[in-house]
Amino acid sequence: MGKQTLVKEICPTTAQTWVKNGALLVDVREKDEIEQLAFDVPDILNIPLSEFEERYSEIPKDKDVVMVCAVGSKSLRAAGFLVNHGYTNVVNMQHGITRWVQKGFPTKGDTSLVTGGGSCCASSGCC
Amino acid sequence: MTQIKVFGPGCPKCKATYNNVLEAIRQTNTEAQVEKVEEIEEMMKYNLLTTPVLMIDEEIKIKGRVAHVNEIVDLLKK
Repeated sequence: MGKQTLVKEICPTTAQTWVKNGALLVDVREKDEIEQLAFDVPDILNIPLSEFEERYSEIPKDKDVVMVCAVGSKSLRAAGFLVNHGYTNVVNMQHGITRWVQKGFPTKGDTSLVTGGGSCCASSGCC
Repeated sequence: MTQIKVFGPGCPKCKATYNNVLEAIRQTNTEAQVEKVEEIEEMMKYNLLTTPVLMIDEEIKIKGRVAHVNEIVDLLKK
């Protein structure tokens, strides 16, 4: 992932702390990916990247928001989009659900999908 | 001169779009400057979410899928 300065990035361990402190997780993976494996956290919103431009306003501006995806690349673009649209409490979680699983953090579904050397480019929307 | 940018992180679809642009330029004899943009910061600057993205003269023409040669040819003829 290239260097960028627009969006603050945090690791999954820090993201876990943010979640415990009430942050909203926004997962931009597509529906089929989420059906297979999802973050198991109390406050989560699923807005696939393919629908993000139409639905980003569902994300509250007054909450801390952690953007997530499979490996942290798509969510970074979405986080940049939010920052460009006036969101100030947004961070991106590096390495996505892949590293989240490796850390043993809570998920629902089949973790072998990400522990078995899964691809960075999932089923839809290119990268 | 026409300015063409292909945005994408280097995936096969992005490479296919870039190659299709080169072919469309060849077919139309267009004088163009083509740039492959892989930096995430540049993509965020333009609010690009899904890639690949084909931009011609700073205007987004096709995004989130491979741009086919005939489509690009049509865009270049406009």
